[in-house]
Amino acid sequence: MRVIRVAFPHAQLPDTAYEKTADALIALAEKSPRHFLALSSGLASLDTLPAGAFLDLNAMDATARLRAIEHTEFFAFVRANTVLTLYNLPEVWEALGYEGASFDKGGYLTRGFNDLDWLPEPRIEEYTGELNHVEIGPLTRQVGAASGPAESASTRDEVTK
Amino acid sequence: MTAIDHDEEAVVIIGSGAGGGTLAYELTARGIKVVVLEAGPHITNDEYVNDEWAAFSQMAWLDPRTTSGSWRIARDFPNLPAWIVKAVGGSTTHWSGATPRFLAHEFQARSTYGAIDGANLLDWPLTLAELAPYYDRAEIAMGSTHRHGRAALPANNNYKVFANGAARVGYNFYATGPYATNAEPYDGRPASVQDGFNFQGDKSGAKWSTLVREIPRAGATGHLDLRPLSQAVQITHDQTGRADAVLYLDAAGGLHRQRARIVCVAGNSIETPRLLLLSASSLFPDGLANSSGQVGRNYMRHTTGSVYAQFPDPVHSYRGETMAGIIADEARHDERRGFAGRYYLETLSLGPAFLAAFADPGSWGRDFTSILDGYAHTAGLWIVGEDMPQETNRITLNGSVTDAAGLPVANVNFDDHPNDVAMRDHGYRQAELLYDAVGSISAHRTPPYPSTHNLGTSRMSARPEDGVVNKFGRAHDVPNLFVSDGSVFTTGAAANPTLTIVALAIRQADHIAEQLANRSL
Ligand SMILES: Cc1cc2nc3c(=O)[nH]c(=O)nc-3n(C[C@H](O)[C@H](O)[C@H](O)COP(=O)(O)OP(=O)(O)OC[C@H]3O[C@@H](n4cnc5c(N)ncnc54)[C@H](O)[C@@H]3O)c2cc1C
Repeated sequence: MRVIRVAFPHAQLPDTAYEKTADALIALAEKSPRHFLALSSGLASLDTLPAGAFLDLNAMDATARLRAIEHTEFFAFVRANTVLTLYNLPEVWEALGYEGASFDKGGYLTRGFNDLDWLPEPRIEEYTGELNHVEIGPLTRQVGAASGPAESASTRDEVTK
Repeated sequence: MTAIDHDEEAVVIIGSGAGGGTLAYELTARGIKVVVLEAGPHITNDEYVNDEWAAFSQMAWLDPRTTSGSWRIARDFPNLPAWIVKAVGGSTTHWSGATPRFLAHEFQARSTYGAIDGANLLDWPLTLAELAPYYDRAEIAMGSTHRHGRAALPANNNYKVFANGAARVGYNFYATGPYATNAEPYDGRPASVQDGFNFQGDKSGAKWSTLVREIPRAGATGHLDLRPLSQAVQITHDQTGRADAVLYLDAAGGLHRQRARIVCVAGNSIETPRLLLLSASSLFPDGLANSSGQVGRNYMRHTTGSVYAQFPDPVHSYRGETMAGIIADEARHDERRGFAGRYYLETLSLGPAFLAAFADPGSWGRDFTSILDGYAHTAGLWIVGEDMPQETNRITLNGSVTDAAGLPVANVNFDDHPNDVAMRDHGYRQAELLYDAVGSISAHRTPPYPSTHNLGTSRMSARPEDGVVNKFGRAHDVPNLFVSDGSVFTTGAAANPTLTIVALAIRQADHIAEQLANRSL
């Protein structure tokens, strides 16, 4: 469970979400000798690294420990299955602010599908102004962007906390 | 439902999705007897589940497939190259609903773009003018909003962010459609209740699919024999090279033979070429209808990518019609942008389960969890543009991996073309500017998902040596064999493909009916 919490830290999630995920992973591993072996030896090896027992490490050191083993079968198993399990738990949805299925309640039609009020109401109809849709060549007016090729760093990631 | 004898020469359609379902309706409506073989089960709206993974497991094609090539999918989802539904209605049950038309020049990609290294570009043997009347019929059938008097869908939260951002960066061609889900009751089906489950089966029936429209109407004609859980495994032919029957497996693995007067393949662009390749014979040693060697080649999946931006204030983008928002200003061919072809931006929202799985596969730690921590404050969009057809992007039979029936599975090999990469990067940047213009505090670039738009593996060509089928989808090599799905796309264009698949299927039905009437088939 500690491994999961360190790898997928969310302050707002209840412990039960991590516990359920850990239980689900153990149950899954028990179905396959190979995964069971990877899980047990992986957990054991976490404690044999020089810096001491995994449970005693602070969050930063624990993360660094996991970084060091992120390419192992053990970690790949934990990561992939945590993603599938943790984020599929209704209590996690609730904590993240997701309301899920709505059909039985009449959808979101009267329950906020359009309640965003910090921007003006936009046009919903298609454009009918004097410009023609350009199919070939540059736009006839300036758009808020350079017209040259985009920078190539396609993996650039600007997520901030 | 009508039973058609296995020895009766019927029109046999393989697959009941956008192409197959439409063709079945259009032919049976003219009194032509049709057998539809559908590999998946017949699941109806009340059985659908509004839960991302549960809905996916219930309906997606999960039989083994393999991948190769440098695309990220081969690393992240090696056995899930595509998101395709295996059920009556095909992927129209899980599709979202965006229905833009192709633009005129998109039918002439080779002439418009010129030669591009590594791209196997070719003009369609068809023009927009020829297809336009069928686009009208398809839009009317599907109830596309903003078309033929259909009302626009209202702005949902995700669209409000998207459209305001668009206006602020100077875009003009944005709207909540065209989109084939009812804003008002239409065609016997209700208006959207904005339940937010659009990549899943729609419980209300507001969304068009062949499951809610074409299949039941075809059934009502008394000329349809729909056989779910029936997977075609081979198309056979007589000594003259005419298709004469389809062999298929039932759910228990029993083999059946349906005689056929005409065979129409509409299994979507991975299974269609697989079936043609599985149907190789001494007369057609490289696969049925493959004298050109183009069966399985030029596999396209559109250049896609998503951007998820977070804002100081709540968005709740998961409420409402997922893809009811489209911007067309970048749908222009402008070499100054550094690439050929066009792209659209469309609203998109995933639930936490799918966002976690697809936002950045393989990643973990705070960078990853912060994407989800801001879930309720997140707006999202999808880039969808033309990708370059390449001969080496290709469906082949995998000799070493077999399915439950022991048949070789499809391998999907794919490499991005440099043009695809340049377009995707441009789209990412425009999306970030758009969200920045309405105050985003972060933006995350998400790589392409398993392909939802699968195209091009049995392409149309004027000359038999350049492709697999002619402008009516009829195989160059086999006179009574048709391909009736997105496999026939000569090039991909930027538009989401389903409207065009439906328009082509309606046109093909007219052609088949005409040929049957004057006995030339
Ligand atoms: C999540 C999602 C969102 C989408 N959103 C949009 C959108 O907004 N706009 C848009 O234009 N498109 C969208 N699409 C794409 C759209 O669904 C497809 O373009 C369209 O359904 C393809 O039609 P088709 O007839 O080629 O194949 P499908 O609709 O996939 O139908 C193929 C059918 O053939 C069956 N089959 C395959 N092989 C065999 C066999 N050997 N024997 C018998 N049956 C067989 C399959 O089980 C399946 O039912 C979306 C797709 C997905 C998954």
